[in-house]
Amino acid sequence: MKTTRCYLANDTSSRAAGAGRLADAWSDRPEIQLIRTSSRGAFFLEPMVERDTPNGREAWFNVAPNDLPRIVGGVGGTPVAEIPFLQQQTRFTFANFGITEPLALDEYQTRGGLKGLAAAQSLSPEGIVEALRISRLRGRGGAAFPVWKKWQVAQQTGSEQKYVVANADEGDAGTYCDRMIMEGDPFRLIEGMMICARAIGATHGYLYCRYEYPAAARAMKFSIQKAREADLLDCDDYPFDLEVVTGAGSYVCGEETALLESLEGRRGVVLAKPPYPAESGLYGNPTIVSNVLTFATIPNILANGGAWHASIGTEGSRGTMALQIGGRVKQPGLVEVPFGLTLHDVLDRFGGGMAPGSRFKAVQVGGPLGSLFPESQLDIPICYDAFAEAGAILGHGGIVVYDDETNMVELARHFMAFTADESCGKCTPCRIGSVRGREILERIQAGEGTAESLDLLKDLGETMKATSLCALGGRAPYPVLTAIEHFPEEFKKGLTH
Amino acid sequence: MTTRHRPGLAEALEYCRPVPPVKSNILKTLLAVQSALGHVPTSAIPQIAQVLGVTDAQVAGVLSYYSDLRTQSPGRHLIRVCMGESCTANHGGRVLRAIQDHVRVAVGGRTLEGRFTVEKMSCAGNCAVSPTVMIDEDLCGRVTPSEVPSLLEPYT
Ligand SMILES: Cc1cc2nc3c(=O)[nH]c(=O)nc-3n(C[C@H](O)[C@H](O)[C@H](O)COP(=O)(O)O)c2cc1C
Ligand code: SF4
Ligand code: FES
Repeated sequence: MKTTRCYLANDTSSRAAGAGRLADAWSDRPEIQLIRTSSRGAFFLEPMVERDTPNGREAWFNVAPNDLPRIVGGVGGTPVAEIPFLQQQTRFTFANFGITEPLALDEYQTRGGLKGLAAAQSLSPEGIVEALRISRLRGRGGAAFPVWKKWQVAQQTGSEQKYVVANADEGDAGTYCDRMIMEGDPFRLIEGMMICARAIGATHGYLYCRYEYPAAARAMKFSIQKAREADLLDCDDYPFDLEVVTGAGSYVCGEETALLESLEGRRGVVLAKPPYPAESGLYGNPTIVSNVLTFATIPNILANGGAWHASIGTEGSRGTMALQIGGRVKQPGLVEVPFGLTLHDVLDRFGGGMAPGSRFKAVQVGGPLGSLFPESQLDIPICYDAFAEAGAILGHGGIVVYDDETNMVELARHFMAFTADESCGKCTPCRIGSVRGREILERIQAGEGTAESLDLLKDLGETMKATSLCALGGRAPYPVLTAIEHFPEEFKKGLTH
Repeated sequence: MTTRHRPGLAEALEYCRPVPPVKSNILKTLLAVQSALGHVPTSAIPQIAQVLGVTDAQVAGVLSYYSDLRTQSPGRHLIRVCMGESCTANHGGRVLRAIQDHVRVAVGGRTLEGRFTVEKMSCAGNCAVSPTVMIDEDLCGRVTPSEVPSLLEPYT
């Protein structure tokens, strides 16, 4: 019997959608050979099965075990190139997704992997930093700081020992692109970290991975071992080694100084800056802490040149952004597009409208510290400047849509409770303020709020914004205050007089 | 779903004994102990502190700081229900209630016969296939309250 080669994603979310059950059901079927790839990120279509045709891949969506005859017979497939959700994207960092086997180093190389590292090897450390300066890449972890500036500080700070740390804490609920990179294209992250190591002169790297991502940690450990065995980590006699370290469920450990405290094994408490980690970080040595997506963006920049990257996007936001759509939309998934589309466009073109039976109420961008937008404010362009101007953040690119069943007072309480739970306790406005904020909201929920409750919340919010040491306390008021601003009636219902 | 060999405390600590120049690492050690024993009993603090050459208070401080470190032994299976925003927007709260009703335990508690511990978790990175329930290391997506019984059945 002829065996048909098919492709099925093996990433955490595809498996959660049923890819694992599908593979099990077909494991003894001789007519099909399954290649387990990364996911394209069109998660609403998973489990999605693809096969080769003379005109490229064809795909079958939301496949169940009894779809096998159709797939083997080639009946009813859709050309992947014609899936609108994918067709309208610009995939650079996520170009391999859905195509390659994540842990196959040779395949990574065949598809252009390691070209960035090769380019970096032909440059001086200063040359690498210069390429990044020209690229105008800003960090994708949340703070959007120019990458080259940080690298230059670490490069110019004299020290025997320097470190590169990938921030894989991905704490913002609603975000999953770091997880996808670690599970789906791990060598790209390793390559990015190695380029950084060469630029600053680091010999050791860590990947600090959240506890909730066991599959990602496994994929990274496996890939690092593979790279080590291929003598890839120590290239050109330039020694470098990498280690995966797991966190233990603390949101604030995504903040870089807390992360380094945690990496040293202590309580993940935020430290005052300066000194910045680039000058004095892990064990007091110059350390670059960058986000996983940031590192994964770098190989293409070195391979294609900084000017290539700078030619994409908007004035202050160059390149592409990985947006992660979740919540009550019809088509949740990963979207890589140049900066500049409006939020409305993104939700409309990619999100595909609301999940059946639900109506739009608000969308939150930038994780649990991000602002809420009502329908009337969706024309904001996705770029750092427009968001900063609106007092909002793009953060790590999480977009969560809420439907009209959402109770805004409860949502606001959820955010204050989250901050109270996750506060590292270092500063009073965040530690105490978040508890007070939660209590006020609980009183409103119980119908016991007074006319002053909302003013009190606003005052508290302003104090937290102005006086917190880090963005957890400093940004926590935003989702709460934007909820009050856009949905005041719901809060007023809980006031007695 | 199979019971693995779990090394004892002493065995787990042996791997974490700091050998210069490698520095002692409390968090890493506690995670290793938890993976060996399923939890970190507070009675183990002095022994851990001694192996690492740190004070009991330092170990206790780290142990209490991190929410994924547990001091109570969990049930045979750990059910974690995501309360992140995408899961909440997709009614993960209803799934949590269905699970609690089905196994009859409060959040943070262990069922009488020791089969399950139920906990809330923050985002599992499965937001596009939410709501999410994690049972041991298995991640389930698009979970509905009505499928809870069949979902839990294989975990005995
Ligand atoms: C409370 C808090 C949580 C954070 N969580 C993360 C995170 O999970 N992942 C991340 O990359 N950056 C996180 N950051 C930002 C980091 O402090 C740091 O700016 C970032 O890792 C730098 O990488 P980048 O330059 O590539 O963005 C967080 C910051 C704060 C204040
Ligand atoms: S704002 Fe909150 S989390 Fe940040 S340093 Fe202060 S107490 Fe810690
Ligand atoms: S919010 Fe639940 S998996 Fe992300």
